[in-house]
This record gives sequence, structure tokens and C-alpha cells, in this order.
Amino acid sequence: MTTFLLRRAVGAVWVVVGVAVTVFLILHLTGDPAAVMMPPDATTEQVAAFRHNQGFDRPLYVQFGSFAWNALRGDFGNSLRHGEPALGLALERFPASFELAISALLLAIVVAVPIGILAAVRRNSPVDLAARVFALIGQSAPVYWMGIMLILIFGVQLGWFPVSGIGGIRHLVLPTVTLALFTMAQLMRLTRASMLDVMQSDYLRTARAKGVAPLVVLWKHALRNAWLPVITVIGTELVTLFSQAVITETIYSWPGVARLAVQAIVDRDYPIVEVVVILAALAFVAINLLVDLLYASLDPRIRYE
Amino acid sequence: MFSRRFSLLAVAAFVLASTIGPGSPGPAGAADSTVTISQGVDPVTMDPLKRTITPTTNVHYALFDTLVRHDLSGKMIPWVATSWKRVSPTVWEYKLRHDVKFWNGDPLTSADVKFSVEKIKDPAEGSEQGPRVATVERIETPDPYTIRYITAKPTAMIAGYPWEVFIVSSKYWKEHGDDVGKSSGYEAEHPMGSGAFIFKSWRKDEQLVMDANANYWHGKPAIDHIVWKPIPEAASRVAALRTGETDLITNVPSQYQLQLAGGSKTRLKSARSVRVLFFAFNTLKPGPQQNKIVRQALNYAIDVPAIIRTVLGGRGYQVSSPLPTNFVGYSPKIPFYQHDLAKAKALLAQAGFPDGKGLEMVVNAPTGRYNKDKEVAEAIVGQLNATGGHFSTKIQEWTSYVNQTSSRALTPMYELGWGNDSYDADNTLTSLFTSDARLSTYANPALDKLVTDARYEPDVAKRQAIYDKALAIIHDEAPWLFLFEYEDLYASSKRLVWQARGDELIYCDDMKLQ
Repeated sequence: MTTFLLRRAVGAVWVVVGVAVTVFLILHLTGDPAAVMMPPDATTEQVAAFRHNQGFDRPLYVQFGSFAWNALRGDFGNSLRHGEPALGLALERFPASFELAISALLLAIVVAVPIGILAAVRRNSPVDLAARVFALIGQSAPVYWMGIMLILIFGVQLGWFPVSGIGGIRHLVLPTVTLALFTMAQLMRLTRASMLDVMQSDYLRTARAKGVAPLVVLWKHALRNAWLPVITVIGTELVTLFSQAVITETIYSWPGVARLAVQAIVDRDYPIVEVVVILAALAFVAINLLVDLLYASLDPRIRYE
Repeated sequence: MFSRRFSLLAVAAFVLASTIGPGSPGPAGAADSTVTISQGVDPVTMDPLKRTITPTTNVHYALFDTLVRHDLSGKMIPWVATSWKRVSPTVWEYKLRHDVKFWNGDPLTSADVKFSVEKIKDPAEGSEQGPRVATVERIETPDPYTIRYITAKPTAMIAGYPWEVFIVSSKYWKEHGDDVGKSSGYEAEHPMGSGAFIFKSWRKDEQLVMDANANYWHGKPAIDHIVWKPIPEAASRVAALRTGETDLITNVPSQYQLQLAGGSKTRLKSARSVRVLFFAFNTLKPGPQQNKIVRQALNYAIDVPAIIRTVLGGRGYQVSSPLPTNFVGYSPKIPFYQHDLAKAKALLAQAGFPDGKGLEMVVNAPTGRYNKDKEVAEAIVGQLNATGGHFSTKIQEWTSYVNQTSSRALTPMYELGWGNDSYDADNTLTSLFTSDARLSTYANPALDKLVTDARYEPDVAKRQAIYDKALAIIHDEAPWLFLFEYEDLYASSKRLVWQARGDELIYCDDMKLQ
């Protein structure tokens, strides 16, 4: 296990370094931040002074060296737009994004897994049909459209929930549902398919033949084996949720890191984009590692050496 | 097994518990004297000497004072400065009020104004506001309530606009490690102003709260608390207004105007904007756009009133020149290019393109930067194609688009909007029509001279005469497709008494509740 963890840690370092180099190059090759940051009536001299002050007039490799050296010490520079340390600006928004993504994931699991199981057990029944229609809608409805619809129905018409901002649980409901729908549909289909697969296996037939109670067969034998692919997908879905949060955070004015990143990309605010992407890479590497460890704990056949 | 299940449950319970925190002190349920304002973006800093972004500037106007303001018609009115005059060809003198105090009780004096301007001029500061004080060479403070701007050349007052500088407390800044040539960044989150509202708290991208300044020199504001709550998505801003979560929203898309104007709790507000939308011809690059007759023909080919009616829902005003009608320098003598397709075709034939044959042009436009920018471009292309020429749109995302405008790379024609809140011709003509200007794709030494002469002409009548000539040249040379001034749309709750302004600014000290 220690060897496995060490190997993964070294791999994680390479992933983050690769991401850092890529994001740096892409950002610096796709446009001049001075054109966006400086007011339109700024003179050529004022724009040149801005570039000089920010070090954008240095050769690219010098800029990268400076960026890498400072990043290693945890200094990603000041946001061009906010004039404050980029790392602090990103870190203070992560909790809101985390709150939204985890809530959406939990909601998706809580709804999708039981319905997926039910649909598998009652295959081709009206319940199964309803579940499949729901999954189809959840996966095909655009997040943007769904968000606006929920706002209009549950916010404006019924007045049940606030339509923007962060606060108590009432503020969390609509963005969570919006964000969770796609993952919910995905997990429901996967749980159903996985359960159907397991339920047709020989060991389940044997268990039934032995006279094991149906609920025990379902819970102890079928579900535990059907869980494995679902757990893997849950890990990757958390990553998907973070990326889909870009739209949800914008619609619901949720003060998360995705909204910050989008605005930073629009503004060519290099330090913020760099720090957000690197932090996201770190988070994703950690999530993947956690999923692998969880996989081993759920399936005794899997051992990491 | 039990412990594993228990752990999972515990994690779930923790996450759920963390989401059921107490609600933020938002506007819902707050006292009646709280007004919530929702712009598209959050302010980027509380340091008022750095940025020029309107949503940030609006917040700063509530927290800080300026020497003067513009009234609704664009006329300059006294604010912290009670009077101003030219005392010699290169010296403008302002007299300050004696009763203006920062929130901590320190008096606002000429030293603070000097400090603020010098901070902006300091190259190390990297301030976007540099152009505002470009004409100021140095500042003198003969006494605590007199300030003198000294310019290198005799200057018409408007040529730079140092009076729009927000005044910060030099003592406070220095106490926190900031000085000219030295920046601590402390004020980015800890402002000290003299404005009508006192900064209370700021959770970025969430809400900024400010309280009325009971000791404000202009009298205590009618509203006790202002909450700035950014909502990036226009449809969500409209929904938040309809649910009463906010009282005032900006940048209302025209498709919502009927819904908001007829709402039981909402009011639609509008103001004729200082922002002009146009298509510039890049006359610096080869192509048919270098021919003046072609440019004139295309101006006759477009039907601007029809575009305003159909694309903007009637919310716009055709322009005959680059200047809105209430600007210093505007000339009523300049005629409109009236839609006349026959004339356009005749001119194109004269230019060597009979029935538009052989005339191919790409119409560049951004998307999402200006109200209906893409749609206007598409409508223009439809009208231009009626000449028989072949026109097509090339729509790009703003950040890559603006890079190309800065390098004058967009050709043969490109859409741009210009919002000049100085209400004076100088900023528009200098930035967009003089040969050396970064954004100008037109070069004409005769026009350069006129624009420069006007900048330094102190006599109002003579200055206007110069602008009349300059605008006549621009009309005849047609380096633009002249389109329209926008009408900016806002919407508010019915309880809020507030008037929209054409310069996109929001003054909170003007607000009242019914």
C-alpha cells in the first residue's frame, strides 16, 4: 500500500506540473491581458507601461521560470484585476463550490441509487419506464435551461426558494437540484444496468436456489457487487460536477471558484486562472486517489502493492 | 462493516449540517431602508484609484467623493469643489468645501486630492485611470482648501478629467504603508472614504454592505443601508427583481422590457446612453474600405432607424456623428446619412462596383460585449447585401476580439461601442480618429490638427467652431458606419425612487423609498 501511495504521489506531481505548464502556455499564447485590462482610451505608452510593470514584456521562458519559482513557494502573484494575491482569492471561494458540488453529489446518490435498484428489480414495469424517461430528461436537458426553468417555477411563480446568492439551506436547494440532475440521471442508469448485470449472474441464482431471503440476496449479494462501477463513476462525477458548476454558479450567482475562473478567463487575469487550474488539478488527483482507496476497501479482491 | 457505514453516515451528516447554516443578512426581511442593487459583476477592489470598470466605479461613488459631478444632462456641478476657474493659461484652480470629513473624522483637504492624483500618475501604481490625469503635469496646494492643476500646455479643462478622481485619505493610506511609489494593497479591502455611505462588509461575489454616513456633508442619505449583490446572468437578475430579492438591476435586455414595465412590483427605467455603437472601417489596411465613396455608399445602404426598431425594440437614437447630442463639441449642423439604397448603388458604381459586383467585405463583431452586438451586425450585413455586394459576419468572443482591436488587426470593418462619460468630444475624437491613437484605424493629418487644437483651445466658442469643422470632415470621410446611441435599460422595485443616468453611473445618495 505504501508503495502504491508513493507511486501515486509521484504521478500526481507530474500531473500538476504538466497542468501548470499547459495552462501557462495556453494563457500566454492566446492574448494580451493589456488589451483587456487597460481602458480603451489608454495610450500606447500606458499600455507598454502596464506590460512592463506586470513583466509581460520579458521573454516567455523568463516569465515561466519566474512563475514556476514563485508558485513552488506558494506565491501565484497578484490578480491583475483585483490587485490582491490570487491564491487567497481562489481559496476563499473554494468552500462555496465544494458545498454545492458535494450537496449535488449527495442528492444525486440519494435519489439515483434507490430508483436505479428499483428499476432493475422491477424491470420493464411502469416504475422502470418512468425512471428511464427521467434519466433521459436529466441527461439531455441543458443545465442552463433547467436552471432558468427552476428559477421561474419555484422562485418567481411559487416563491418557495430564493433565486440567487448563498445563504441557508433554502438558497442551496435550486442550485443543488440543477447541478445534480445530470449526475442523478447518469448514476440511475448505471445503477440499473449494473444491478441487472449482477442479478443475472450465477452466484445470485445459487443464492436464490439456496433459499436465501430475496432482500438479503438483493442487499448482500447483488448490491455490494453492483456498487463497484457506481463508486468509480461517483468519483469521476464529482469532477464533472465541479466543471458543470461554471453554469450553475453563474445562473444562481453562487460565489464559487468556477465563477471566479470564468471571469478571470474573460479578463485574461493570468494569476487567477493559473492558480484555479492548479488547485483543481490537485483536487482531482486527490479525488481519484480516494476513489481507488475506497474501491479496495469495498472489494476485498483488490489489493494495492 | 458497522463502522464503515457509520463513517459514511457521519460524513453525509456533516456535509448536510454544513449547508444548513444561518442565512446571510441579505435584503429579504431586512429593514425597509435597505436597498439592494444587482449589477452583473461584483466590484473588483475597494481601492478607488486603480480601475475604471463601471460596476466597481458605482460602488466607489457611494464610498468616496469627487471634486465635481455631472448632473443628468451631463452638465458639471459642484461637489467637493465649490468653484473652479482658470487662473492662468496653464493653471486651473479649484476651491474645496471646508466641511467634508472622512469617516474617521479627519478633514478632507487639498493634500488628499493631490495625493490621490499623484497615486494615479505614479507608473508603479499601474492605474487604469492614468488617462484621466494625463494632462496634469503637477499639482500645487497653496492652502488646505485650494488645489491647482498645472498643465504643460494651455488646456481646455475637459482635455483630461482630473475632477473625476476619487479622493482618498492621504493620512490613512500612509498609516497603512501606502504612499506615492509604494503600495501595500491594504486599501483593496479596507477603504476609508468621505462618501455618503460607510463601508461595512464585503463577501466577494456575494454581497457588499454599506451603511448611511450620518455625518455626510451633503446630508444623511435617505437610505440606511445599501447592499450590492452581483447577479451575472440577466435572466436571473430579472427573476431576483420580480421576487423582491433585489431593488435595482442593471443591463436589462430589451426582451424583458414589456414584462418589467407591466409588472405589479417592478418598474422599467431608461436613460439615453453616452455609449455609441458603430462600425469602423480599417482604412489603414488595403481594400475597398480605403475608398471614401465606398464608405459613404455603405452608410447610405443601411437603415439605422429600422435596426433600432427591430433589433433594439426602439431603444436607441440614430447618430449623425460620433458624438451624442448632449456632448460639448456636438454639432447639430451635421446631417444624418439617410437610408437611400439607390444612392448607395450609384456611389458603388462610381467607385467601380456596379451593382455591388466584386465588392466583398467581412463585418467583424463581438458577442456579449454590447447590447445586441451580434444581432446588430447580422442585421447590418442583411442590409448591406441589398447593394449587390457580398458581406458576411465574423463574430468572435470579446477577449480575442479586443486584442485585435488594440493591434488594429480587424479589417475591413469592425463593430465597437464607445462610452465616454466626460460628456466632451475630446476623449472620443482623440481615442478613435487621431492617427497615433491605439484604437484608431483612420489617419488624416488635417483632422489630427483640429482635434489637438480643440484640446488646447480655452475659448468655448472657438473650440466649438473647431469641432464643427472636425465633425464635418468625419461625416464626409465616413470612417465609420454611423449607427446609434443606446438607450440603457434598468429596472427597479416600485418602492424605489431613483432616476437612471446616461453615463451608466448609479448615485446611491440620490435614492429614496416610497
